[in-house]
Amino acid sequence: MSTVPREVAEEAAGAAAAGLKDRAGVPHGSGSGSNGSGGGGAAYRPAGSRQGQQRLERALTHLGLLLISVGFLLPFLWMVSTSLKTLDKTMAFPPQFIPDPVVPMNYWTVLNSPKIDFPLFTRNTLIIAVLTIVGTVTSSAIVAYGFAKIKFRGRGVLFAILLSTMMIPFPVTMVSLFSLFRWLGDHTPVQWLGTFKPLWVPSFFGSAFNIFLLRQFFMTIPEELSEAARIDGCSEWGIFRRVIVPLAVPALTVVALFTFMGTWNDFLGPLVYLQRPEQYTLALGLQAFQSQHGGTEWHLLMAASVLVILPVIVLFFLAQKTFIQGIATTGIK
Amino acid sequence: MMRRAEWVSLGKGLGFLSPWIFGFLLFTAIPVGLSFYYSLCDYSLLQAPLYIGLQNYRDLMADPVFWKVLVNTFKYAVMALPAGMVVSLGLALLLNAPIKGQAIYRTIIFLPSLVPTVASAMLWLWLFNAKLGLINTILRWFGIEGPGWLTMPQWAMPALAMMSLWGVGHTVVIYLAGLQDVPKDLYEAAELDGVGPLSRLRNVTLPMISPVIFFNLVMAIIGTLQVFAIPFIMTQGGPARATYFFTMYLYDNAFQYLKMGYASAMAWIQLVIILCLTGIAFWSSKRWVHYQGA
Amino acid sequence: MRVMRYLVIAVLLLLATGLLVFGPRANADRPKDRVVVSYWEKWTGNEAEQMKEIVNDFNATVGKEKGIYVEYLSMSNINQKTLVATAAGVPPDIAGLWDAQVAQFAAIDALEPLDDLAREHGIGEGYYKRVYWEACHYNGKLWALISTPAAVALHYNKRIFQENAAALRKAGLDPDGVPKTVEELDRYAEALDKLDARGRVDVAGYLPMEPGWFLVHTPYWFGGQLFDAEAQKFTADSPESVRAFTWVQSYSKRLGKDSMTEFRSGLGGFNSAQNAFLVGQVVMEQQGPWMANYIEDLAPKMNRRAFPKEQEKGMSVEERRRNYEWAAAPFPSAVPGLEKVTYTGFDVLVIPRGARHRKEAFEFIAYVNRQDVMEKLCALHCKNSPLTEVSEKFLREHPNPYIGVFEELAASPNAKPVPPVPIWPEVNEEMNNTIQQIYLLEKEPEPALREAQARLTEKWERFQALQRARGSTGVVAPGEGNGSEVRR
Repeated sequence: MSTVPREVAEEAAGAAAAGLKDRAGVPHGSGSGSNGSGGGGAAYRPAGSRQGQQRLERALTHLGLLLISVGFLLPFLWMVSTSLKTLDKTMAFPPQFIPDPVVPMNYWTVLNSPKIDFPLFTRNTLIIAVLTIVGTVTSSAIVAYGFAKIKFRGRGVLFAILLSTMMIPFPVTMVSLFSLFRWLGDHTPVQWLGTFKPLWVPSFFGSAFNIFLLRQFFMTIPEELSEAARIDGCSEWGIFRRVIVPLAVPALTVVALFTFMGTWNDFLGPLVYLQRPEQYTLALGLQAFQSQHGGTEWHLLMAASVLVILPVIVLFFLAQKTFIQGIATTGIK
Repeated sequence: MMRRAEWVSLGKGLGFLSPWIFGFLLFTAIPVGLSFYYSLCDYSLLQAPLYIGLQNYRDLMADPVFWKVLVNTFKYAVMALPAGMVVSLGLALLLNAPIKGQAIYRTIIFLPSLVPTVASAMLWLWLFNAKLGLINTILRWFGIEGPGWLTMPQWAMPALAMMSLWGVGHTVVIYLAGLQDVPKDLYEAAELDGVGPLSRLRNVTLPMISPVIFFNLVMAIIGTLQVFAIPFIMTQGGPARATYFFTMYLYDNAFQYLKMGYASAMAWIQLVIILCLTGIAFWSSKRWVHYQGA
Repeated sequence: MRVMRYLVIAVLLLLATGLLVFGPRANADRPKDRVVVSYWEKWTGNEAEQMKEIVNDFNATVGKEKGIYVEYLSMSNINQKTLVATAAGVPPDIAGLWDAQVAQFAAIDALEPLDDLAREHGIGEGYYKRVYWEACHYNGKLWALISTPAAVALHYNKRIFQENAAALRKAGLDPDGVPKTVEELDRYAEALDKLDARGRVDVAGYLPMEPGWFLVHTPYWFGGQLFDAEAQKFTADSPESVRAFTWVQSYSKRLGKDSMTEFRSGLGGFNSAQNAFLVGQVVMEQQGPWMANYIEDLAPKMNRRAFPKEQEKGMSVEERRRNYEWAAAPFPSAVPGLEKVTYTGFDVLVIPRGARHRKEAFEFIAYVNRQDVMEKLCALHCKNSPLTEVSEKFLREHPNPYIGVFEELAASPNAKPVPPVPIWPEVNEEMNNTIQQIYLLEKEPEPALREAQARLTEKWERFQALQRARGSTGVVAPGEGNGSEVRR
């Protein structure tokens, strides 16, 4: 057993979440009908054979995962390998696997390329990502609290509406949102189009998917905790701030991470709303390496792609346990 | 009549919901309404909308390209959706096994979902290259001369569907999360009863995570029917419109042909189709989705 | 491990914050004392750099004098970006679009008319070759001026002609000549084809779809056209057009569809050293004059057959031509007596409606259209000149020694541009798809074109009806309730 994941897990779940997990561990009602098999017949078998079978299972799992991982990784290796080649070597036939010569300079070339202003685009992406994360996390948490913890008339209907908005494809609103932003620009002193606002402002009004995720999580927090705070004279907002939010840190982290990745990779949104190249995000800027006439500089394009992916990969590797644990505790059901 | 306390809790509830309600009205309800109005107009963004009734919808029904992209989109969904569901569930089951290097395997499987769409589109464009691409290079080791994946009409769509499997990481993570919630004692009980792994999967795991499967199914329906960025960058719909999808034609109508009204009508048809399909999924879910403790 | 993890996260956060706080800002270096004219251009790569040179020239001379600074941005998806920015009321002052956008954008009021400004600068009919000047107009108004034009011609590999002299002679063809008719072109092509051991195409003498950028205009060489401007209707299924695309299809039939598709998917990208023409996989191609530049970049040997480049200085065009492995000639026509037929595509500069600096923007456009500047740009881009008057120096020193051929073609009465139809992008899409179906042998030319014709006619009638409807309800006048007023 690797020691890394366990450590990460403990840390990520935190004391509060661990407590919750205990609760979740209690078997729920058996409406699943999954106990039907077997019955009472005691199938006694020697322990040795069972262990052997387990070992075999494990070995097979390992083998399967290894093969699949190679399959999943090959494109990446190909990408890294291409990113270290010279242009004419990318076109060599038969293709080279190990670049010769190795050209790490490609990365430097990309960072200084006139085609894509890497630092500027990174900054743009970060601005949008940070604002979107702040907006999504705060607003979704607040709204989710309302859906999870306050009983009021019409809540069910509103929740159904919330869920159904997830099914509206972006193109449905794309054009009219555009007109709307223009109208807002014409009739209020704030200019929307030609700025980043269309990309991040809506996130401050909650996003359906994340509200849903957080609501599920908040539902698992025992009512007694809120009740105790209420008796202490805490306002509803106070309960949310002082009781719920601290308990929900893992879930909020998940929302933040999901949002970060979503924004970092978004293509259609920036494509429609950003016009000036100086506003491009990385995802959009990468397209600049694809030439109209098929003279794509593959080595540079791949180097740029590696640079764009790298921070996200590092982030995920560090947070993967938190990530999965976080979603697990939120429980999508 | 509502009692005072009910009024208070209604106020509180709406207070917490207010950001979403405001956002919903401004960024969803109004645009959705507007787009329905536009779908009844001739509209080019620069000129005022001109009301033409149901003309756009009638034109769509008579537009062979519309039917072509609709069929293409369904074809793609039929190829990519079941494959994606099966592969992602299988991977999640493997990744859930307590084995050495779990974190690394999980990261590897999830990695592709982290790659920006543009980058992965470009990467696969390169991998699919008939002569210099990785895929045909590997096939050549086995003496197979691979096809021009993205240049032959009959291969382009399967190629895209194949590529979509590379990006199942997102779905896998959600499955994994669901698997964490399956009570361990159910497995132990089953194992004590001498139930084999396959039967354990069928009788314990699948029913227990059926809500997650359902969630992923709905998300996959919504996602595959909106496929856009990958073919937009990789094939521009070609060859011979073999990979021309609904959202791409919608985008072209809106921003290449400047027919915003026509595009809005398409968007509405897309919405109705998605609603119908998720509706069917919801309806069928009563038969196969088991909610714990419900 | 935990320490490492925090360390990495801290470093990432630090980097991000650093970039946010100290990172680069857009447009830090705009001069404060000049009017900044923003100029968006579609070119990427070399062409973008070459235009940048012209912009720099302007900023250093005329711009400096008149207090104008042109800020040059090259971008992808330019049509959509320009349109959307115009609708948003934040358009660039100048946009470098394609020919097809003149009518399309003009029809929806996305452009500023340029008639008055052109008159002020003394730019008018006669200054340009007819075909280009006319194509800048729509509904009687001038909407655009040329940035760089082109005409297409047959490019052929003289070296490969010589290597196959025996085969050509056997077919009754002259290895020192060039096909004059489509029928001759077919015979040359067949004589130059080479098959591999499996009987699949290895070298193609000629392939209409390679690269096939102008396939949709093929009817021009068969005496037809896709749109009859006089009758204001499409003619996709005219006998000429059917003949044209039947001819295109004949290549798939002769070589075999699978063989041809396989051959094509094995070819390198246009802008790569594996370009089919450069490596001799396709012996004859329909291309524009820019081909010489690509050859110079990617296969310089082909431009140095006899002597080093320096020796070309001061030589006559005829002498220079000996140094090239390839040559260009008018693309053969299928109709006896129909000569010097070409399709003239071109790039334009427009001022989107609501642009903040219309006058200053036109100063730059007019600068680009000055004969010396235009000739410099066209020489850099390796294109012919759109102007009626062409300097002797331009012809002699042009990187393409065959530029005279293109000049003549562009000035010919049989030079035809993209039809002045606002719905052209849609038509083009429709036609390209139809043509693909035809040469992939999925449909026969005649029924396919008849279907296409029906669809085009319907689209066209719908468009016209809407225009009429708009006319009666009033087209929104420029600057009225469309958010295009000058702001900021």
